[in-house]
Amino acid sequence: MSTSELRRPKAPTILIGAFLGAGALVTAFPFLWMVLGSVKPRSESVAYPPSIIPEQPTFEYFVQLFEELEFSRYLINTIAVVLISMVGLILMAMAGYGFSKFEFRGREPLFFLVLITMMIPIQVTMIPTYLILNGMRLTNTLIGIALPTLVTGFSVFLFRQFMTTIPTEMIEAARIDGAGEWRIFWQVVMPMSKPILAVQVVLTFISGWNSFLWPLIIANDERLYTLSVGVALLNQQIATNPSLQMAAATLMVVPILVVFIVFQRFVVQGFALSGLK
Amino acid sequence: MKIRLAPYAFIAPASILLLAFGVLPILVALLVSFTDMNLAGLGNWSRIQFIGFDNYVELFTDASFWQALMNTGLFAVIGVPSVILLSLGVALLLNHSNSRFFRALRSFYFVPAITAIVAIALVWGYLYNTQFGLFNHLLSLVGVPPVQWLSDPALAKFSVALVAIWRGTGLNIIIFLAALQGVPKEYLEAASLDGASRIRTTISITIPLLRFAIFFVTITTIIAWLQFFDEPFVLTKGGPLGATTSVPLFLYQTGFSSSQFGYASAGSVVLFLIIAIVTVIQLRSRRADVDQ
Amino acid sequence: MKRTRLVWVAPLAITTLALAGCSAGDSAAGNPDELTVWVMGDSSANFEELVAPFVEDSGIDVDVVAIPWDSVDQKFTTAVASGNGPDVLQIGISKLRTFADSGALLPLDEATVADYPNLAADTFIDGVSGDATAIGGEVVSVPWVADTRVLFYRSDILEENGITEPPTTWDELRADAKTLAKRGDGQFGYYIPQWDSALPVIMTWDHGDEIVTADGAVDFDTPGFAAAVDLYSGLYADGSVPTNADFDQTQGFISGAAPMLVSGPYLANAISSAAPELEGKWSVAPIPGADDDRSVLAGSNLGVWGATDNQEGALALLDFLSTAETQLTWYGLDGQLPTVKSALEDESLASDPLTAVYSAQLNNATILPLVPNWDGETGKALLDALNSIVLTGADRGSTLDALFQATGSTSIN
Repeated sequence: MSTSELRRPKAPTILIGAFLGAGALVTAFPFLWMVLGSVKPRSESVAYPPSIIPEQPTFEYFVQLFEELEFSRYLINTIAVVLISMVGLILMAMAGYGFSKFEFRGREPLFFLVLITMMIPIQVTMIPTYLILNGMRLTNTLIGIALPTLVTGFSVFLFRQFMTTIPTEMIEAARIDGAGEWRIFWQVVMPMSKPILAVQVVLTFISGWNSFLWPLIIANDERLYTLSVGVALLNQQIATNPSLQMAAATLMVVPILVVFIVFQRFVVQGFALSGLK
Repeated sequence: MKIRLAPYAFIAPASILLLAFGVLPILVALLVSFTDMNLAGLGNWSRIQFIGFDNYVELFTDASFWQALMNTGLFAVIGVPSVILLSLGVALLLNHSNSRFFRALRSFYFVPAITAIVAIALVWGYLYNTQFGLFNHLLSLVGVPPVQWLSDPALAKFSVALVAIWRGTGLNIIIFLAALQGVPKEYLEAASLDGASRIRTTISITIPLLRFAIFFVTITTIIAWLQFFDEPFVLTKGGPLGATTSVPLFLYQTGFSSSQFGYASAGSVVLFLIIAIVTVIQLRSRRADVDQ
Repeated sequence: MKRTRLVWVAPLAITTLALAGCSAGDSAAGNPDELTVWVMGDSSANFEELVAPFVEDSGIDVDVVAIPWDSVDQKFTTAVASGNGPDVLQIGISKLRTFADSGALLPLDEATVADYPNLAADTFIDGVSGDATAIGGEVVSVPWVADTRVLFYRSDILEENGITEPPTTWDELRADAKTLAKRGDGQFGYYIPQWDSALPVIMTWDHGDEIVTADGAVDFDTPGFAAAVDLYSGLYADGSVPTNADFDQTQGFISGAAPMLVSGPYLANAISSAAPELEGKWSVAPIPGADDDRSVLAGSNLGVWGATDNQEGALALLDFLSTAETQLTWYGLDGQLPTVKSALEDESLASDPLTAVYSAQLNNATILPLVPNWDGETGKALLDALNSIVLTGADRGSTLDALFQATGSTSIN
């Protein structure tokens, strides 16, 4: 942050910038291909040799997604799942706080179990999890869709790492002032956790938005399907309309990209301050 | 008294969820691995029989399971170093300047990480297609005959791994960037005052200070690659002839497609143990390292 | 101290109760005026339109859920696990054995369907009617739509290369494919989908052998199968077919890279919508034969969930779906062929040249043997064996021996 902004970029910087720029284009190329493909008329998308820039761009497939297919509903469901996941965010912050700032019986073994959950392959958990949700009568509900991935070991770990860096004196001071534990959490700890919260908001948004497995299994009703499932539904055995599929895929990616661009600065800061040195 | 209850209250909701949806299922899998549960048994528990270690014996004499193990190992060996080195490299370069241009580039590198796997499958499937894909078209322009990206048993492994590497660098770049921003400026300035070149500084000072970040990324990346599933599932369904079948994909196919739940559970337990052992080894070696 | 223990007990209690709650296999209290139907595919809109008259007449509300083809196994497995399923479900014939074995389907014996005349076995084509789809002697589904495989060919490309009529025998097909593959680089004569386990079976049938013995055990060790392997590997050896797994057959047909294909009616729809300009330049013909020109009969049946609480409604819906009128309407809406004989004989179908070929073929088509998990085991073993011979050069003798060994113990009983 101390490089003087008034200085013109030196040769190494330009070189590195060009190299990174080229790398960025290559990295983002499949994404660009997808976006361009979403506005190609069908004949162009199956044409060979493939053209990169569409000659007659059209938005008809986006329109088709919302009018003929149920994408507006899938979009709403996906947003709902994301919002429910944000509740999970709070729970994980609480757990991170509890593990970092308190001494209590069973802390080490419990935290160890939390870490273990990161190592469990998801194929293992699918059926038992479904049975549990079924027993709780949560199948075919949006809560049932969001619940299995509401909390992740990875995020609890990150929260804990970050919160260990919060000065204990501030918490003690609040206690001496007579504040209750819950109040301390909300009014002292959370405001100081803004960076890590930003990180988690982005990560939670991404995983909630892209959620595929659980909506598919839990929802008995296609009215509860999310965007990911909608895109998969378009994937018939014979791919009939690549443009439509690309439009659906583009619809999935663009909002996340926007969220990331907005929160980008905080994400880097957040990881930095979470003690990952 | 009030204080002693508080920690439990804070960790309870998240812990219960993790126990219920993480730990409990693996215990259930352990139990089921000693039975011959299949679809009929799933619907009617009285049809399940306890068969001891039979599933494990069958597993270790199953050629496709060994193939899946070998593949998973190979994928990890290719993928983990690639992801770590690429992410670190790009992060170091991105950290070179804080200009708007450099900051804007971050989003480009993050795009693969945020794209849903179903969308990735579509795009890469078209790019890789032997007859009508973009890559072979570009190759044909320079006179190279079509490459069977996803059909050649050896090449398919590489193609599938490439997509996963492409996808896996995004988040790690961000983590490394963050760690780099935490490197105290005084160290770097002192080094340059001493006459050390930029590169020398990076190697001798910056990277050692990133030890924890590198360690964290290594562990999470290894765990992720041992659980490699998404890319082979959507791109090749484990083909050709099992060349890209990883252990998780093998579990999915035996568990869901063939409905041999007892057998698949045995495989799950084995995979879980492998991951756990590898992780513990890493943790132990770091502790030894730190103690020095 | 006590509180510590309490924290551990609570989650254990909750999960135990949850598991206990579901082991009873209780189904949700249902409404006799409602039916849930699972259909395969991307959209429920067409089916909803189809059953609108039924909804009006019976007053039963039909809730249609579309299940993506790739997810059928998952959905069904979790439904069986929880006991919560739909009331009526579409079952691909290749999955019929698996579903039946799960015990989740309602037996549809003569007594149960007595009140529903449209569900009588002789209403449907022989290949799938009555006992043809019985498992262990028990019928648990009724036919719904049929699918078969016929020969698709680019008449324009064939003519340009001196082939005036589509091949009628497999030997002719092989020769024609060789000619067409000579057109140049990247041009082939035919396409063998590496995932299609039905094709080698069709070839075996056409050379005069079944793939199950009289007792119902799978048996590939026959002269007919050997002839099929000759044909299959011969096409590869001639260089007439592409060797990559991701060959897109629609694009291949449209671009001319693969001017002959064996496929089903869905391909015709795909070609017409993706390349309307090709009209008149392609057509279909009955599958080539040798001693016989039998093709495979595929498609889907419909089943009733055993634990349904609206059995009457479900059966009434099945009855409605088995009328010639409904079957023809469905063909119009979704392009899937009827299984009801009178529907197939209808003029509207006979007048379309393509459909005439399909219907004729349906009269000489049989289903793949109803062994447990054809797709995942027997069919897969067959494909793996063939593909390893033609793609990786594995030794034919030992690979086939291994195949015979691996599949010999599988049976339809």
